[in-house]
Amino acid sequence: MAYLTQPDYVTYVCSCSQLKPITSLYFCRHCLQIRCGFCICHEVDSHYCANCLENMPSSEARLKKNRCSSCFDCPSCFHTLSTRATLAQQRQSQEAAAAGDTKVENKASKKMYYLSCFNCRWTSRDVGIPDQPVGGWPERTHPHAARLAALLEHCRAISQLEKQDRLEKERKKFTIRGKYITLTDKTGLTGAMARSLAGMPAEGAPAAGFPPSVAEEEVEGLPEDFYTKEVDLKQITSMPQRLASPEWQPVLVSRLQPLPRALSVKRSQRCRQCDHNLTKPEYNPGSIKFKIELLALYHVPEVKIISCDPLKPGGTGSLLLKLCNPTPHELALRLLPHDYGTEVEECAEEEEGDEKEPKPKKEVSKRPALPSYSHLSPLDVSLSLAQRDDAAEYDDDAQAAQPQHEIVMWRKSNKMALRLNVSLSEDAPADRCAVAFTLEYSYRNTLPPSAAAPRQPQDHTLRTTVLLDLGKLTV
Amino acid sequence: MMPLYEGIALIQEKQAVVLDLGSEYTKFGFTGEPAPRCIVRSQFWSAAERRMKRVLDYATAEELYENLVHMLHLLYFRHVLVNPKERRVVVVESLLSPTLFRDTLAKVLFEHYEVGGVVWADAARLAALTLGTPCALVVDVGYREAEVTAVLHSVPLIPALQWAAQGAGAVRGELRQRLDRDNGEELGLSDEVLEDIHVKTLFVANRERACQWDSPSPPAPAPSVQYPVAGRAAITVSGETRERSAEVLFQRDGDMTSLPDLVLTCIMKCPIDGRRPLAENILVTGGGAALPGLRARLAQELRYLLTQPPYNTSLKVPLIKFHRAASHENCVAWSGGAALAGDALAARAVRSPRPDWPSLTHTHG
Repeated sequence: MAYLTQPDYVTYVCSCSQLKPITSLYFCRHCLQIRCGFCICHEVDSHYCANCLENMPSSEARLKKNRCSSCFDCPSCFHTLSTRATLAQQRQSQEAAAAGDTKVENKASKKMYYLSCFNCRWTSRDVGIPDQPVGGWPERTHPHAARLAALLEHCRAISQLEKQDRLEKERKKFTIRGKYITLTDKTGLTGAMARSLAGMPAEGAPAAGFPPSVAEEEVEGLPEDFYTKEVDLKQITSMPQRLASPEWQPVLVSRLQPLPRALSVKRSQRCRQCDHNLTKPEYNPGSIKFKIELLALYHVPEVKIISCDPLKPGGTGSLLLKLCNPTPHELALRLLPHDYGTEVEECAEEEEGDEKEPKPKKEVSKRPALPSYSHLSPLDVSLSLAQRDDAAEYDDDAQAAQPQHEIVMWRKSNKMALRLNVSLSEDAPADRCAVAFTLEYSYRNTLPPSAAAPRQPQDHTLRTTVLLDLGKLTV
Repeated sequence: MMPLYEGIALIQEKQAVVLDLGSEYTKFGFTGEPAPRCIVRSQFWSAAERRMKRVLDYATAEELYENLVHMLHLLYFRHVLVNPKERRVVVVESLLSPTLFRDTLAKVLFEHYEVGGVVWADAARLAALTLGTPCALVVDVGYREAEVTAVLHSVPLIPALQWAAQGAGAVRGELRQRLDRDNGEELGLSDEVLEDIHVKTLFVANRERACQWDSPSPPAPAPSVQYPVAGRAAITVSGETRERSAEVLFQRDGDMTSLPDLVLTCIMKCPIDGRRPLAENILVTGGGAALPGLRARLAQELRYLLTQPPYNTSLKVPLIKFHRAASHENCVAWSGGAALAGDALAARAVRSPRPDWPSLTHTHG
């Protein structure tokens, strides 16, 4: 079972040989492989603001630097800021009237807004930002924006020159020269001379427009009162507060400015091997549903530990497992030792070679270290597990008598409990003991037939390796 | 038809990202922008170990690979919100970054994230690029170490490269010891609290005052600060701690590894024609250099040391001049990386995951 706050006791081996709980695994029904977050391709699907749940097209998000235009975060505690409305004061309108602006006078009782944090009580008035009418909060530009823009232009100009140079060289390679090459021709001296005579800058010199920075001998030191002034910790920003706005990095609390809220993204996941989507969220930011959701939890039988006897190195004990079938088809199951499939897998790989693209070698060669000191018994048992049926629990009669194997303790609709024995060798590690086994299960592919693959076998036999964490041993 | 087609291609060209993966903070953003989109701690939540894990906490190459995958995932999908696939990356790195780290980062970028190309650029050269001067002496005070690199006409002089563990981390270590002494007990403060005290209270006094501390009549210390800590009484940060914690950077010893010594040694190892321009084009960068008063103190120390042996006989530089960076200290190299855009980037991008590092065509475009 997978828990939120506890360690993962049952982990599955992903096709990329990572060990993950079933809740963080995906199942690609095109390659019939288990995939995890590590071996799939993540993609940005849509941008949205997590506060106002407003979608933003990606081109707009790029323009706005991935910031929401209406929501702000507190620069002091990073909580969301609320917009508060006040009526514009009379005095302000009088001032405006004195300035001779009659239009403002008419709108004397205009609503003005400021931003306030309900968590730490920071307001935009604290730092002297005037109240604003609806919408527009002033945008600030980077203090060195002009200088850095000039630098960028400069670099562009240089790279243009570079490109021209390269093109020139390539062109020259193919020009057929005359029979006689003079030295000046070869060195390009005449061209350089002509340029210098005409008073033009030498070829290859970067375009002007980026004045080099001027170094100063004088470095301003600390003000003299720095050594005597008391430090008010509340007036100096902390590192997270500074880095929340990388452009300004204010040192004083009085320089903090509301932070436009960063957008979030919905991600879609794609299988790297076959490029099919594994998950695709719905476009609506308020929805937590998916259009495509190929989670392992819906396709692979889930294994849970019910209980386990206290174990000793060299001893045996019984292990109670619960298996659950999440699919709407009856499952045929087989328990196998975890090193069962290694040679067979390669043969299967060759057989399927003609219909599937051969996988990159690195995926097959890597295998996680599975414990060899512990064994489950009895293995190589064939079982069957009924399909998932949501209406089953309302039925009165118990399950029809099925051929029972002696290791099955009980069955209930799509679940069953097994009693297995774990035997440990003497060299089992006492602090964290684990046992692994391979689960072979039948899988019915529900993929609709497509033009590319009109007839594919519907039923497959798949294998997955499960690692059970048995905890500490009693010594 | 052709120009129209080209125009579309131009619009569709994806903006490259610039990655500056520091030991403490990571700067990440787009090329062509004045500042990084995010400056975040170089750490991520490790689900397996159930703790925040630093990227540079690794024992094996596999572990580093995993760390980098997680860190880049965080950067791409939480902060910058773009698809990494087929997008170029400018990696701002130290000249001293280990080959294992570089190779693993290349592997992660090319094999895991399938980026369109990577430009490997060293931080010193990029920092010098922002100045526009032909020569620059870049003093990069990072967290783990301080590096002094002479950059002449965009070429870092490797034989003159100087470095020592004289970064913000050294100051932090000294601060921890001094705080324990101030309060008479082992405080065991967390890194975050220590960083906050470092940022809010420390400063570097001028040379005159620093010398007075060693004389029999020490100056009146700066006011002490009561720093509130959750779960206990406020701790005292004495005035002496405030102004002398950063002295570790300037303490001279036999190894000549103090910050001013590194600078002067670097200049001394440069060709004679370059020394004077280098001394007149010093640029102090790195997050560790943001401490108030550090630049001024460095200037004073340099001028004093030039009158002392061994520099007074072998180094003749009459002027020491400092540049003012066009961005905050902690992202100077990043902004240099962000200036590489368009063709320059396309021409220099490496497209294979295992470049031949010593080859000049790979490292210098």
